[in-house]
Amino acid sequence: MTQLTNQELSPKEKRPLETGVAENASSTPQFSPQVDIWENDQGLTVVADMPGVAVEGLNIDLNDNVLTIHGQVSLPNVGRKVLTQEYEIGDFYRQFKVAGEIDKEAIAATIKDGVLTVTLPKLAPAQPRKIVVVSA
Amino acid sequence: MAFLPIFGRGFPVPFWELEKMRSHMENVYNALAGGINHFRRNYTGVFPLVNTLEDDDNLYLTAELPGLAADQLELAIKGDTLTLKGAKVADNVDANANHHRREREVGSFSRSLTLPIKVKAEEVGAVFKNGVLTITLPKAAEAKARQIVVQAQ
Repeated sequence: MTQLTNQELSPKEKRPLETGVAENASSTPQFSPQVDIWENDQGLTVVADMPGVAVEGLNIDLNDNVLTIHGQVSLPNVGRKVLTQEYEIGDFYRQFKVAGEIDKEAIAATIKDGVLTVTLPKLAPAQPRKIVVVSA
Repeated sequence: MAFLPIFGRGFPVPFWELEKMRSHMENVYNALAGGINHFRRNYTGVFPLVNTLEDDDNLYLTAELPGLAADQLELAIKGDTLTLKGAKVADNVDANANHHRREREVGSFSRSLTLPIKVKAEEVGAVFKNGVLTITLPKAAEAKARQIVVQAQ
């Protein structure tokens, strides 16, 4: 079910990455992507807007309960002269602390039309195990 | 307030000096930025933000529209005005889900842009890739730079 709103979109400047968050050895600027994070019984879903990032440019990992998403933009406008620039182009980087038990093997990510979706399924809760006592 | 003599330039002396300094700084800045490289941040305040580029044959307009489906985008060109219309719809999220963060916005947009040069309207093309829209507008013959051969006599 998709819902359409009557709200009008207003332009937003990209949030530059705070210094010290990630080392940046290249001259490409880095931004913090806008995200939606939601949770249900099955797990956690992170949705991030990363326009200009293709599958090849994505790097996602979960280490010590920290989820890192990094997207490198492909720069298609090489050789073209910039006349006016209203938005900046750069890579995306953001980290999240993930609480709770996550099934690390089952984490999945897809990117479509510049939107990254990472699903982190929860580990199945430990089933109470009934121990059958057998009479000797 | 002290009386300030007005000179021919239209600015009282101290302001005129300031104005000279300001325009000088602007020239220096423009020279550093490569002359024509105007960085006009959010100057219209209308979504989406658009970058304009060119090469010898085409004018290019680019806009970042992550999550927008190509069939939700309406593009029209009339005279020297290009109109971009569309809507970003909300994702399909489980109604029982608990939202931790909600930063991505949804809504509709409409923006009209005045093209800086004449283009061949019937040959305009648009591509939507990785959430970035690129509109290619071939320059009209009269808008293209023409090399003039200097003949030695």
